[in-house]
Amino acid sequence: MPESILSVENLTKCFPTKQGLVRAIDGISFVMAPGDTLGLVGESGSGKTTTAQCIVGMYPPTSGDILFKGETIGAAFNRRPKHVKGDLRIVFQDPGSSLNPKRTIKQILSVPLAVHRVGTSRDRLARMKALLEMVELPADEYLYKYPQAIGGGEKQMVALARALATNPSLVLLDEPTSALDVSVQAKIINLLIRLRRELNLTYLFITHDLSLMRNVASRVAIMYLGKLCEIAPTVEFFEHPVHPYTKMLLSSIPVVSDEEEALKPHKAISKGEIPSPVNIPPGCSFHSRCSERGDSCAELDPEMREIAPGHVVRCNHWCGPEGE
Amino acid sequence: MALLEVKDLCVGYRIFEGHLRVLNRARLEVDSGERVGLVGETGCGKTTTVKSILRVLPTPPAEVASGEILYRGADILRMSHRGIRDLRRREMTAIFQDPLQSLNPMFTVGTQLRDILKDSMGGRGRGRLSRREIEARCIAALHETGMPDPERIMHNYPSQLSGGMRQRVCIAEALSREAQLLLADEPTTNLDVTIQDQILRKLDELVDEKGTSVLIITHSMGVVRDLTQRMYIMYAGTMVETGRTKDLLAAPRHPYTQGLMESVPRLTGVGISDGIPGRIPNYLDPPSGCRFHPRCVHVMPVCKETAPEFFSVGEGHVVACYLYRS
Repeated sequence: MPESILSVENLTKCFPTKQGLVRAIDGISFVMAPGDTLGLVGESGSGKTTTAQCIVGMYPPTSGDILFKGETIGAAFNRRPKHVKGDLRIVFQDPGSSLNPKRTIKQILSVPLAVHRVGTSRDRLARMKALLEMVELPADEYLYKYPQAIGGGEKQMVALARALATNPSLVLLDEPTSALDVSVQAKIINLLIRLRRELNLTYLFITHDLSLMRNVASRVAIMYLGKLCEIAPTVEFFEHPVHPYTKMLLSSIPVVSDEEEALKPHKAISKGEIPSPVNIPPGCSFHSRCSERGDSCAELDPEMREIAPGHVVRCNHWCGPEGE
Repeated sequence: MALLEVKDLCVGYRIFEGHLRVLNRARLEVDSGERVGLVGETGCGKTTTVKSILRVLPTPPAEVASGEILYRGADILRMSHRGIRDLRRREMTAIFQDPLQSLNPMFTVGTQLRDILKDSMGGRGRGRLSRREIEARCIAALHETGMPDPERIMHNYPSQLSGGMRQRVCIAEALSREAQLLLADEPTTNLDVTIQDQILRKLDELVDEKGTSVLIITHSMGVVRDLTQRMYIMYAGTMVETGRTKDLLAAPRHPYTQGLMESVPRLTGVGISDGIPGRIPNYLDPPSGCRFHPRCVHVMPVCKETAPEFFSVGEGHVVACYLYRS
């Protein structure tokens, strides 16, 4: 087992609301090795973003633990040591609202450098230019622009440059490309892959796009109603999906060629909707939509089981390599 | 004769900075009973096209500079107010991207559905429906979309429904009367894949049953592949390529389409290309000639001068690119 960079143990996050307790994250555990790209995939309302926000410290977890390089970082961000904040950065979904419209790109990029006291002010200007070059934006042209003057893809590149300003080792990417067109997305994704290689980054990539994960992630985790359903290395995940929800997701993807069509599982037809996280169904939370439901599923909440090296599934009905 | 024919449509917007020339001789045809897809990236003029067809573009700032939109041979742009109202009432129907914006938050689903049926069928004369019939039709329409418990949903407000349910209500509204042409503007963009799959399957079934012609606008190649027979690729206000969906997706010819197809992440895991260099042009000062030439890898001198006509590259497959001139 390689040394882990991030390990999440039994993380739970609840939000009390008027309607009742919302269990946004319900006891998830996973480990990330350095250099990993873990794709966290799920429908809206499954708790993907809350997971990222807990890890980055926007909320303190209700229970459970987050270990970053062996250090407990369960507390909210204002109690975290500063070096952890610099080492663990996040890029948000909508660059239009995560970049301050009243500040130039130079001002935006200078904040993390000032907060983390990187070099002198002259060094910082050089560093900002280097950062912009790193994300393939011509520095002299962009440094004094405002976010509204540049396109969506370029804004996301600036957001990425800001995240990289403090030389992080782990970057959380919260749906970084879902607001963008495919041709722009392709550019950003290639940039991300190149930066990962050059800067030895580890990514936790949150998305709802499984076909994107096929091309980017080294491991994929599926989340449903605050719980993880299946974690597997990418190739294994797409070739031998086990959990019925995974199969349903895979069969729902609209694809563009016959070769891809052949890869989709065809038995699992999508039905039903994600239940409200206020009253999660008893037993396996997926049983109301499951096509392979058995009698015990409504009562028995399945455990995470490792069925192959690195392939973990939470389902009552997995009975061996050949299935039933 | 085609059911809907858009001919050399030029639409622009007058804004403070000047004149945005968005649609530049856009053309489009939908035959009776045909399902057509219109694919393009953000800001290429897809929604402007649909809005011109429905004649709901706010003018000003929008203005139709030239071109015709023929519906069964009659020009929508020159129709009387009454004529276009009748057309929208009986012939055309639309589903928009955001169901929260197309449903009125102040009225129940039932009220809104009944109003639509009353307006299109509750008039005088033989076609008139009684209140009870309207009620039954509404429930049947909701039921058709796969909505559980339609009687209860009729009394719900849109805010009480989930995104997928709201979109089902919009589909029920659109298909509750026998329209000939359905315009669907990004009907599933806001939805999760599993819900998108359900909605599209239902839409597919219903359209098949009723024989409605469909123009579906989207940026997802996969959705078009599942739902349509023929497709158009749009770039910066012009159609760059059209053909049968299967042929076009299997062998895209226009450099833009090729770039777009290579950018789509595949389930086979073959990797993603670098995307298309550059950005969509500024409509205040669009490039001369072919609007794609500043981003094109095969650019030739002629591309900068005049916009290419359509050149045929296969059965029903035409491309607006000088590479296929011969």
